[in-house]
Amino acid sequence: MKNDFRLQYPLWMMGFIVVLGLLAYGLSSPVTKVINTETEQSVTISLGPVGGMFALGAIVIYIIMLTIFLFKLKKHNKKNPAQRISPFSIRPPEYLEQDEGMTYITRKAAQKVYTFITWSLPALAGIAIALSLPRIYIIFGILLIALGQYWIYYSEVRKHLKEEIE
Amino acid sequence: MLNNRVRELRARYGFTQSDLGKQVEVTRQTIAFIEKGEFSPSITLALKLAKALQTNVDELFWLEGDEKDEK
Repeated sequence: MKNDFRLQYPLWMMGFIVVLGLLAYGLSSPVTKVINTETEQSVTISLGPVGGMFALGAIVIYIIMLTIFLFKLKKHNKKNPAQRISPFSIRPPEYLEQDEGMTYITRKAAQKVYTFITWSLPALAGIAIALSLPRIYIIFGILLIALGQYWIYYSEVRKHLKEEIE
Repeated sequence: MLNNRVRELRARYGFTQSDLGKQVEVTRQTIAFIEKGEFSPSITLALKLAKALQTNVDELFWLEGDEKDEK
């Protein structure tokens, strides 16, 4: 159970969210140069050295992570044909529902996540309206909430499975 | 809160949590949750457990404070 990929799935998603944050940061301040004369029309968008490094680094890390992730997913599906994970499934694959005990744990974790979402999203919207935040801060806020929900789910499920004894 | 004798009877018959889980078609983790009283099983699972442990459901599970039978 400890090595069940569905348990690690929220951690992978958290990793992908961090990479997305790096990419968002890298792409957040491009320099735009517009030339519009009688002889020349062009738009050039260029990233600064730091932004470019973050964006490029994020893409490289993303490709590496995705390769490892897909490899682990394939391994899980081969080992657990009854609990296959589809990367394109709408239903979160981290749900553990193979019996009523695991369904109970999943429900408890999902309830905690729902509680978190019900106050954090309106709070973020309120802060964004009140402070007129730049777009990048709102993106970071959404990514932080996404990180939080995966962490709450993971830590709740982990807590129950860690305490179990043979 | 539901109390139970699952751990006691399982040990009596020499079953591991995995053995018992296989018999009643649940995971080892679910047996552990039930033994700790963390999770109350459905009637179906309670009946399956009672059958596997060769006892009755009311001998296996009882409500907290309902100790009249000195289980």
